[in-house]
Amino acid sequence: MAGLLARRIILVVPLLAVILLFTFLLVRISGGDPVGLLAGPTATTEEIALVRASLALDQPIWVQFGVYMGKVLQGDLGNSWLSNRPVLAEILDRAPATIELMFWGVLIGAGIGIPAGLRAAFRPDGSFDQTTRFLSLLGFSVPTYWLGLIMLFVFFYLLGWAPPGMGRIDLFLTPPDRITGSYLIDGLLAADWEAAGSAFSQLVLPVLCVAIISAAPIIKQTRAIALEVLASDYIRYARAQGLPHGQIRAMALRNSMTPVVTFIGTEITGLVGTTSLIEYVFAWGGLGQYGLSAIIAGDFAVVQGYVLVLALFSVLVFLAVDVFVMLTEPRAGATP
Amino acid sequence: MTLLSVEDLHTHFISRDLDNQIRTARALNGVSFSLDAGRILGLVGETGAGKSLTATSIMGLLRPPARVVGGRALFEGRDLLAMPEAEINALRGRDMALVVQSPKSSLDPLSRIGDQLIRIHRAHRKASERQARERAVQMLASLGIPDPSRRMQAWPHELSGGMAQRVLIALALMNEPRLLIADEPTTGLDVTVQAQILDLLRDLVRRTGIGAIIITHDLGVVAHYCDEMAVMYAGTIVESGPVRQVFAHPAHPYTANLIGATPERLKLGGARTVGGPPPNLFRLPEGCAYRDRCPQAGADCATSPPDVALGAGHIARCHRVAA
Ligand SMILES: Nc1ncnc2c1ncn2[C@@H]1O[C@H](COP(=O)(O)OP(=O)(O)O)[C@@H](O)[C@H]1O
Ligand code: SF4
Ligand SMILES: [Mg+2]
Repeated sequence: MAGLLARRIILVVPLLAVILLFTFLLVRISGGDPVGLLAGPTATTEEIALVRASLALDQPIWVQFGVYMGKVLQGDLGNSWLSNRPVLAEILDRAPATIELMFWGVLIGAGIGIPAGLRAAFRPDGSFDQTTRFLSLLGFSVPTYWLGLIMLFVFFYLLGWAPPGMGRIDLFLTPPDRITGSYLIDGLLAADWEAAGSAFSQLVLPVLCVAIISAAPIIKQTRAIALEVLASDYIRYARAQGLPHGQIRAMALRNSMTPVVTFIGTEITGLVGTTSLIEYVFAWGGLGQYGLSAIIAGDFAVVQGYVLVLALFSVLVFLAVDVFVMLTEPRAGATP
Repeated sequence: MTLLSVEDLHTHFISRDLDNQIRTARALNGVSFSLDAGRILGLVGETGAGKSLTATSIMGLLRPPARVVGGRALFEGRDLLAMPEAEINALRGRDMALVVQSPKSSLDPLSRIGDQLIRIHRAHRKASERQARERAVQMLASLGIPDPSRRMQAWPHELSGGMAQRVLIALALMNEPRLLIADEPTTGLDVTVQAQILDLLRDLVRRTGIGAIIITHDLGVVAHYCDEMAVMYAGTIVESGPVRQVFAHPAHPYTANLIGATPERLKLGGARTVGGPPPNLFRLPEGCAYRDRCPQAGADCATSPPDVALGAGHIARCHRVAA
C-alpha cells in the first residue's frame, strides 16, 4: 500500500515539470520582449537590466528554463511591477482568503448537494426530486457575477441583513494577528469576538454564492451516481438477500462515495474561476481577484505565478482525491 | 410435501409510451408449477421466455414497470404475492434464497467476502459476530473452497467467476433456506466449473432435503441434474413433468421441437433458432402463443389451449394433446 501511494506521489514530479515548462513558455510566447513584459511599463533602466540578467537571455532557451526552474524551486517567482513586491509573498498573503472562501463554500455546497442528490435518487421523479431538479437548474443557469450582485442587492441593500461587500472584515476593525490567515478562525483563536463576528458576517454572502454554484452540479451528479448504484446488480442482490432497508441504503451510499468525491475534486479545480468573480464582487482580496487584476494590468510575473499556483492547486486536489480513492476502494489495490 | 406452488402467475410490464398511451407487455401469462421438498425442478426455455421474471416475481423482487397482476405463489402454504414487503423481506435470504447469473457483479464491491456472509447471517438470525464468522468459514469449507479463512478476507474483485458463484451459493445457504432458486448459475463458467457447481447443488439438495429450482436454457443441465422440468414459452409453462417422462414422450409441439432440434449438446444457447422468433409480448396472439411457429396449429388454436394431464404429473398445454 505504501508503495502504491509513493508511486502516485512521485507521479507529481513530472507533472510539475510540465507545468513549469508551461508557465515558462507563457512569458516567452506571449509576443513581445519577455524583459519588457516582466519588468513592466514603468521600469527604470536599472530594473530592466536586473530583470534581463535574471533571465539569462544570452543562454540557449533550455538553460533559461533551467534557471527559471531553479528560481521557482527556491521560491523566487519574480516581482510584481505594480507593487514591486515579490510575487510569492503577495500570493501567500492572499491565499488564505481564497482558501477560506472555497473551503466553506464547497463544504456547504457538498453538505447540501450530496444528501439532496441521494434523497432525490431514492425516490426518482418524486416531488423532492422534481423540486431539487428545478433548483439545481437555477443554480446552473445563473451567472456568477449576477448572483453575487443580487445577493448584495437583496441582503445588504433591501433587507440590511448583511454588511456591504467590502472585504473580509469591517473597515474600522483591525484584523486579528495572523495564525491561520482566516480572520474568522484567527479571531476566535485570539478571543477577539468582534473581529470574528465581523469576519463571519462578511463571509456569509460570498460563501453562500460559492455554495449555491457548487451545489447545483453536485446534486445532479450525486443523483445520477446514486441512481446507477441503486440499479446495480449488487443492490438488487442485496434486496434478494433480504437485508434490512437501512443496510441497503448504507451500501448504496458507500458505493456512491468514490465517484462523488472524484467528481467534487474535478469540480473544485473548475470552481477557482467562479470564485475569482465572486471575489471581485465582494472585494474579497483573495488570489482570484489578484490574478484577474494582474491579467488585466498585464503584470506578467504575477500572471505567471498565479497560473503556477492554480496548476499546483489542481495537482494537489487530484492527488488528494486519488489517495482517498486508494484508501477507500479495494479495486484500487491499496486498501489495508 | 409441496414446498412451493405457483398458480396462474401473471406479470406485466406496464408503462406509458411517447403518446402517453398505456402499453402492456404481458411477460408472464399464467405460469403454474409446483415443487416438492427434496426435489430439483429445471425451469427451461429460450432467452426471454420469462424464467428470471418468474423467479423475481415469486420472490417479490419486481421493480416498476414490472408488476404481478394475478395468481398466487404459495410457499409452505403462505401466498408470497400477497405478503407485505417487510414480511417477504424477512423470508428472502433466510427461508428462500436466490443465486443469480452474474455472481461477480452481485457481490458488494466494498465488503470482504467474509463480511458479506456474516452480514446476511446476522440480518436474519440472532448470532454473535464470532458465531457468524465461524459459520461462514464452515460454509466456505463445505462448498469446497480451499483455505476458507483466507478467503474470508478476499474482496469480490479478487475472485474468479467460479469462485464468486460458490460464494453466492454460500450466501444463499448461510441461513439454511428451504427453497433455493438458482437462475442460470453456471452460464459463463467453463465446463468443468459448471459441472462442479451443479454437482454441489445436487448433493446439497440430496443431503439437506431442501427444494431447488434450476433455471437454465441448457436442456443438458435439465437432463443431468433435475428431477422435474417445466418448459417455458412466451410467459407460460407449456409442458411440465418428471424429466425422464418429458424427454421420452414430449407432448407439446414446442418441447418436441426443442428436444428434437438439439440432440447432441442439448443446448438452446441464444436459441431463437427453433422455427422463428418468439412472439411480441406487447401483441400476443389470441389463444396459443406458439401458434405462429407451430407445425400442428389449426383453427382451434385461436382459443386458449387447456392444460392436459398425462399422468404421473406430466402436463402439457395444447389442443393436440390427448390424455
Ligand atoms: N421493461 C420491460 N418492458 C417490457 N418487457 C420487458 C421489460 N423487461 C423485460 N421484458 C421482457 O420480459 C421477458 C422476460 O424476461 P426474462 O425473465 O429475463 O427472460 P429469461 O430469464 O427467460 O431469459 C423478456 O421477453 C423481456 O423482453
Ligand atoms: S395449441 Fe395449437 S398452436 Fe399451440 S402448441 Fe398446440 S397445436 Fe400448436
Ligand atoms: Mg434470465
